[in-house]
Amino acid sequence: MYDRPALEELLAAVGIFLEKQIGPLVKDDPKLYYQTLIAYNLLKIAERELVWSDKHIHTQWERLNNLLEIDMPLPTNALEAREALERRNEQLCERIRTGEHDEQWPRTVLFAHLLATTREQLEVANPKFLQVISQERATRELSTGILGGG
Amino acid sequence: MTPETIKSRLTPYLTEASGAPATVTSVQPLAGGASRDMWLVEATLNDKAEKLVLRRDLPTTMLEQALTREQEFKLMQAADESGVKVAKPRYLCTDTSVLDAPFFLMNYVEGISIGRKVVQLPELETAREKLPEQMAQQLAKIHQIDTIKHRLGFLPVPRLAHNPVQEAIQQGRDALKKLNIDHPAFEFALRWAEQHAPKSERTTFVHGDFRIGNLIVNEQGLQAVADWEFGHMGDPHEELGYCCMRDWRFGMGKRRVGGVGDREPFLSAYERYSGTRVDRKTVDYWEFLGNLRWAIICMSQANRHLSGREPNVELASLGRRSAEMQFEMLKLIEQMGI
Repeated sequence: MYDRPALEELLAAVGIFLEKQIGPLVKDDPKLYYQTLIAYNLLKIAERELVWSDKHIHTQWERLNNLLEIDMPLPTNALEAREALERRNEQLCERIRTGEHDEQWPRTVLFAHLLATTREQLEVANPKFLQVISQERATRELSTGILGGG
Repeated sequence: MTPETIKSRLTPYLTEASGAPATVTSVQPLAGGASRDMWLVEATLNDKAEKLVLRRDLPTTMLEQALTREQEFKLMQAADESGVKVAKPRYLCTDTSVLDAPFFLMNYVEGISIGRKVVQLPELETAREKLPEQMAQQLAKIHQIDTIKHRLGFLPVPRLAHNPVQEAIQQGRDALKKLNIDHPAFEFALRWAEQHAPKSERTTFVHGDFRIGNLIVNEQGLQAVADWEFGHMGDPHEELGYCCMRDWRFGMGKRRVGGVGDREPFLSAYERYSGTRVDRKTVDYWEFLGNLRWAIICMSQANRHLSGREPNVELASLGRRSAEMQFEMLKLIEQMGI
């Protein structure tokens, strides 16, 4: 549809520019250097969003179908799909406010959905954060496991 | 404002304020927060060489709950007189014709105040061992500041018929409403917060932003508690939970107290210094609430950029950092019981 560079290649080009050319140039100005790192990091977020967003909108939609017990198809048009998801999230907020998820069972399902959604956000925004947390948990389980065995 | 302008305008001001001959010899920028600018000022006051820090308002304000420079100055005086380790406040200037905005000067305290460095620098290893105990001691003193004796009536208090917990929850709701955000994770967390609110038994002065990055630390340990602009009347547990939040641990996730220590020794030290009992579950709750609030503040900060008022890449990035605090808040709910 468009000539190359493709979208992900455009982002990568800007990333290389920030990293190789701007970074060394502003190294002695702590504030500018920090902001350049942030800008670079935002590009990386955009790159990951390109990879993940299609999968995440489907999984989120599926979970909402399950949670709200309505089998609604996700609109095929990307823009409409996003709008529909936003509307469903508004409805979900309303349901939470009015106490429809207060009972144990719907609350557990809701919580699992929220946690999964937040994980998906982090896969895009900061996958390293998720890695660090799971490593932490692994070492804790290992150490309690050894203690428990002894 | 350039260092030269500050230098030339500060010399006559300091002469007048100190009542003796004053010369400003150098002005250098210090790394400050997103909302204040800070300068290291070297001056000769009455033939004595002094190092001072200038803290000035920026044209944009960060959070509505923040104190003015004048209030912060008075608060720091009260903290100083109450025996809290704090940079001694020296001169307050509310006349905006001097530096275009209110400012004050305080003594410069030698040390490191960048949280990541405090947690990671090898030369601060011994200091880190002392820090949790020193933090507990300072917090106990801070919570004992007599706000009536020191005439701190300007400090924010919970609104009518609200205890500190209810006030914090309401502030979260107000902020989301202002942003016009429908966000299921926040909605759930706020409802959970209301349904699991602990009793709030004691209202005291709290620093409001007591975390590792707001301490000045050298090899001997804690030298001063900085950034008093979020001081308010609250629940002491609020502050004990706040300084344990993951975001202030700088990669040392298992050391719950600011990445430098375990929680239990810290809380028992606080009990010893304050002579009060600490409810561990209430501290857990406030750590959760701290994450919820910080997650919402991130969205508000991003909105400063998104609204077009203050285009800034750093503010924009906070919108996507919010998820880290959301995750932590959900994990804490899970630990306490969904």
